[in-house]
Amino acid sequence: MSEALENPAGPESSAPASSGAGRILAVIDMGASAIRLTVAEAGADGTLRIMEEASRGVLLGKDTFTDGRIKAPTMQATVRVLKGFRRIMEGYGVVRCRAAATSAVREASNRDSFLDRVRLRTGIEVEVIDGPEENRLTYLAVREVLGEHEMLRRGNTLLVEVGGGSADISFLRAGEPVFSGTYALGSIRMRQALASWRGTHDRRVLLLRRHIHNVVEDIKREMPLREATHFIALGGDVRFAASRLGGSEDADARLRFLKEPEFITLCDQLAGETVDDLVERFRLPLADAETLVPALLAYNELLLATSAEQVTIPEASLRAGMILDLAVGEDARRREDFSRQVLASARAIGEKYRYDASHAENVARMAVRLFDELKTEHGLADRDRLLLEVASLLHDVGLYINRRAHHKHSHYILSVSDIFGLSRDDMDVVANVARYHRRAMPQKSHLPYMALDRDTRVKVGKLAAMLRIANALDADHLHKVRDLTLVRDEDEWTLEVDGAGDMTMERLATLARSDLLTEVFGQKVSFREAARP
Amino acid sequence: MTPPPPPTRARKRNPELFLNRELSLIEFQGRVLEEAQDVSNPLLERLKFATIVASNLDEFFMVRVARLQHRVLEGDTAPDADGMTPGQQLAAISVRVHAMADALYATVLTQIFPALAERGLTMILPKDASADQSAEMSRLFTEQYLPALTPLAIDASRPFPMLAGLSLNLALLLAPAEEGGGPRLAVVQVPARVPRFVRLASDAGNVYVRIEEVIRTELGALFPGQTLLGSTVFRVTRDSEIELDDEGGRDYLATVEDELRNRRRSRVVRLEVEAGLAPELLDILVQSLEIAREDVYAVPSPLDLRPLLALVDLPSLEDLRDKPLRPLPNADLASGENVFDVVDERDILLHHPYDSFDPVVALAVQAADDPDVLAIKQTLYRTSGESPVVRALARAAERGKQVTVLVELLARFDEESNIRWAHSLEEAGAHVLYGVRDYKTHAKVLLIVRRTSRGIRRYVHLSTGNYNDRTARLYTDFGLMTSSPAVGEDVSAFFNALTGYSDPPRMKKLVMAPTRLRERVIDLIRREQRRAESGQPAEIRAKMNSLVDEDVIRALYEASGAGVRIRLNVRGICCLRPGLRGVSEQIEVVSIVDRFLEHSRIFHFKNGGDEEVYLSSADLMPRNLDRRIELLFPVEAPECARRVLACLDAMFADNVKARVLSQDGGYKRKRPARGEEPLRAQIHLYREAERELGRVRAVKGVVLEPIEKREA
Repeated sequence: MSEALENPAGPESSAPASSGAGRILAVIDMGASAIRLTVAEAGADGTLRIMEEASRGVLLGKDTFTDGRIKAPTMQATVRVLKGFRRIMEGYGVVRCRAAATSAVREASNRDSFLDRVRLRTGIEVEVIDGPEENRLTYLAVREVLGEHEMLRRGNTLLVEVGGGSADISFLRAGEPVFSGTYALGSIRMRQALASWRGTHDRRVLLLRRHIHNVVEDIKREMPLREATHFIALGGDVRFAASRLGGSEDADARLRFLKEPEFITLCDQLAGETVDDLVERFRLPLADAETLVPALLAYNELLLATSAEQVTIPEASLRAGMILDLAVGEDARRREDFSRQVLASARAIGEKYRYDASHAENVARMAVRLFDELKTEHGLADRDRLLLEVASLLHDVGLYINRRAHHKHSHYILSVSDIFGLSRDDMDVVANVARYHRRAMPQKSHLPYMALDRDTRVKVGKLAAMLRIANALDADHLHKVRDLTLVRDEDEWTLEVDGAGDMTMERLATLARSDLLTEVFGQKVSFREAARP
Repeated sequence: MTPPPPPTRARKRNPELFLNRELSLIEFQGRVLEEAQDVSNPLLERLKFATIVASNLDEFFMVRVARLQHRVLEGDTAPDADGMTPGQQLAAISVRVHAMADALYATVLTQIFPALAERGLTMILPKDASADQSAEMSRLFTEQYLPALTPLAIDASRPFPMLAGLSLNLALLLAPAEEGGGPRLAVVQVPARVPRFVRLASDAGNVYVRIEEVIRTELGALFPGQTLLGSTVFRVTRDSEIELDDEGGRDYLATVEDELRNRRRSRVVRLEVEAGLAPELLDILVQSLEIAREDVYAVPSPLDLRPLLALVDLPSLEDLRDKPLRPLPNADLASGENVFDVVDERDILLHHPYDSFDPVVALAVQAADDPDVLAIKQTLYRTSGESPVVRALARAAERGKQVTVLVELLARFDEESNIRWAHSLEEAGAHVLYGVRDYKTHAKVLLIVRRTSRGIRRYVHLSTGNYNDRTARLYTDFGLMTSSPAVGEDVSAFFNALTGYSDPPRMKKLVMAPTRLRERVIDLIRREQRRAESGQPAEIRAKMNSLVDEDVIRALYEASGAGVRIRLNVRGICCLRPGLRGVSEQIEVVSIVDRFLEHSRIFHFKNGGDEEVYLSSADLMPRNLDRRIELLFPVEAPECARRVLACLDAMFADNVKARVLSQDGGYKRKRPARGEEPLRAQIHLYREAERELGRVRAVKGVVLEPIEKREA
């Protein structure tokens, strides 16, 4: 039972009869209250067919959010469930499996030993994903369900999933995510807070509502909630609400719509019931009954903060997104979509900090040109190009705070910002690259830099070196440079710049800021204006 | 029983609305007895029905009567749904069963035996034997029986022995050993491992003598020097502390502690003795066994009619049995066609025993041999290791396919032989699960996962009966083969729940007990009721073995009250009381007892013209709905649904073997009305199946298949 899952697990996997059949993929989602499996078949034509779904309640969240660590019985239950899932996967000869754990594992103090135990006992490698990655995957699933629905083509949409540990929220403009973040509205956490408060049931619900209200007020500072005219909600709690209210469905029953007043009335009604009542009345498992009211009240408050008139509940989940992600993999069109979404979200942050958009765009354009020119030297991946582009767009956001040491303010702002599709690790890279767009080069005394692992530090150095030069090429913000080429000579690189007007400023700046490039690539850089026709 | 005053509305706790479960079960035995009495049945079939009654009554005492007596001993006086306390039920049962035992013996001794004698089959007593035959019996006694006999004299120092339940024994009254002493009791157990009926050499047909009579004539040899005052053959029935179902499976009463269990198990619930035994002998037996007088059944010899079943299969008396109805091949699958290809095209409905069980075996066998099959999952309830299905599963596992089998063994603590084949499946590499804790898996389902050129496909066989090729010839059951993706998905999820890989799922097409089945059936009844209330014609037809569940019955009453026409075909126990004004006027209940054991469960809802047909492994009894894992599944393909409905039509049109339940709990035989043709549903269905097969074959035409290569 311990050979890695990447190997074909099915019997007679060499049998040729199925040449026309699709690949069998599986994803496992280790959430706060259950571990779930989806097995799907990806057809050669790109279609996805869900073969099997399994779910087993394991209260990882209860452990982590109460004690900070996953306890032994829960660990054993996890291993048992994953062994069963493995058997299901083997029944299909699954070739690729992605297992992801979210906040309940991410925040457990013993997560590394937990994951090691799981890997040794089940052969399943579980990857811990963070809020932004969760947002990205969920968004993929939502997008797939909504397809060409008009709410993805015009207007603003708030996409909300209240999980056990936190709530993931994205703000979409014409279907593209521009803001996204993870907020302290986790239903298990809220339930625990609720349980610790004294007073009558009604009084405690009132306190809960106040807590939610305060968090939503904070969110309003980051996202223009009121501008959202559509409200998409995900998760088991809101699906339960849908099952009570019925609402209306779209043609293929993958979308359900609930009217705002009905939804709010239901939330109010349910809020009046104790957990015991909910278990009794709706035959809910205890774990589900416990999270129901906190989660619904969070949706309720967020819905009221928008201008939406109905709640849209798509048949979408993190797992569906993971399967899509796994199926499309290296699909170029999807990657382009993804980059566009990341950049749109980055620009939204720039706007928030009143950046000089044309300077930012210009620097970003030069930076990626340089990246492409240096392709054979830097050996970095496409994703790093995207990170450079984001860092270039946002390198000056620190000016919002103060001109002095603004590269440090940029670092700080970016290290706490969420950009759709980028993980925390990604954001650490972006923040450090932005930080080194001017002044000091990376040094051992710089703690945030030293907190990165070695490979990442090297990457930051390379990217920052490119950004420094790109920024220098627009030194007086007049966008004189149109294009650049790197001419490689024996012992010197020459930057041949094609532009208009006087380039003195740019030349001086470039020579000054090529320090890092020289250090990183071991080449001196000179500046030359391209011959003008 | 007198009909109660008609209540106006069904409300909670009105016992007059329900028939007593136990008395209804006795009524069923009565219908089987009718078949033994029915002179239109072949003689040996009548004998067979008589042995079934005997066997069913034994079981009834071991399980049902034992349970009631236990409740009385515990001081339980709470009335059941029908308002009768355990004590009242026992009293009523005693009256009814005494009468039934008398009728059973009258049938066997005055009708069947004399008729068999005319055909040369006789049962003689040793005193009527010829000299040669007597010599043969003496030899048998000394050589075979004597070594196995242990005569036990009972007195103060030697207590009454613990006799095995349902075993045959002789009780002897011996003259007092000393002056002034009382007569003494001695007991001889009749050997159980030798044939009960001994065929004696004769030139006048088949002559049999009973082993206990041979022993009785030789008692002098066992108690030399004693004076024998009297003797009787007797038999005790003990609390078995288990519950049996139609399929012979057992339900253990959980939660009974060991000590209590032993005490219960040793309790005698019935004593059968020979009529006319010496009163002192009966007194001593009753005293020794601590049994009440009303639980004593004095019957004519022979006691224990069950072994007579051995005579039913005598090869020489072919004409005294039913003409065999050979199961018919399936027209679509007949000529060795690939089952998967056919099921890809359309759903296949099989109606056993009219249709052969072979396609089901073929499905399992082809799954084992098909290189594209990835996984096979199956529930096996009451299947023998000899079953070709089990052999196919073992082969599949050996070939590296993922095989998962959920086995419900005959009994929890099973003997070697029963467990061996399950172990051999494990050794072949199958994943064998020995049941699910606290529930018995009664659902019958087979799932095959297979790669095809259009992707992974799931093939499912769902059935109302077991994967048992032997009972498939005797029980009427429906089986459905389908490749419907939604059904396949549900069945996968079902197995994931059984194996503990997933929590019980929400299903699309299937409904599972214990989670949702009762609820769904009631929802469907209520939906029909709403149709009726909004003025649409509404009708429910259903067929099952037993209808006991109070909630379902109340839902049916309410639907009837709203004008839904309800026709039920309940072969066995029915606690619903039909024909009550304002409650169940719209409900008709029919029971069919015929040569095949009616076993399929069918539910048909008119649903305003959008008709729905379901099949199920479950009866509507609390034990099925609460303590078992069962499935209810829809029959959606129109041609399959039509065939199920045609079966229901026949079940309600039967006017030969059908009985109608009346308000007082009694049953009246249906007779053809004036000008009506007699219709016997089971024969009718067989003829229809034959006709259909002929029609399909005619349409397909004769196809000559040249053999290209000479087969090795």
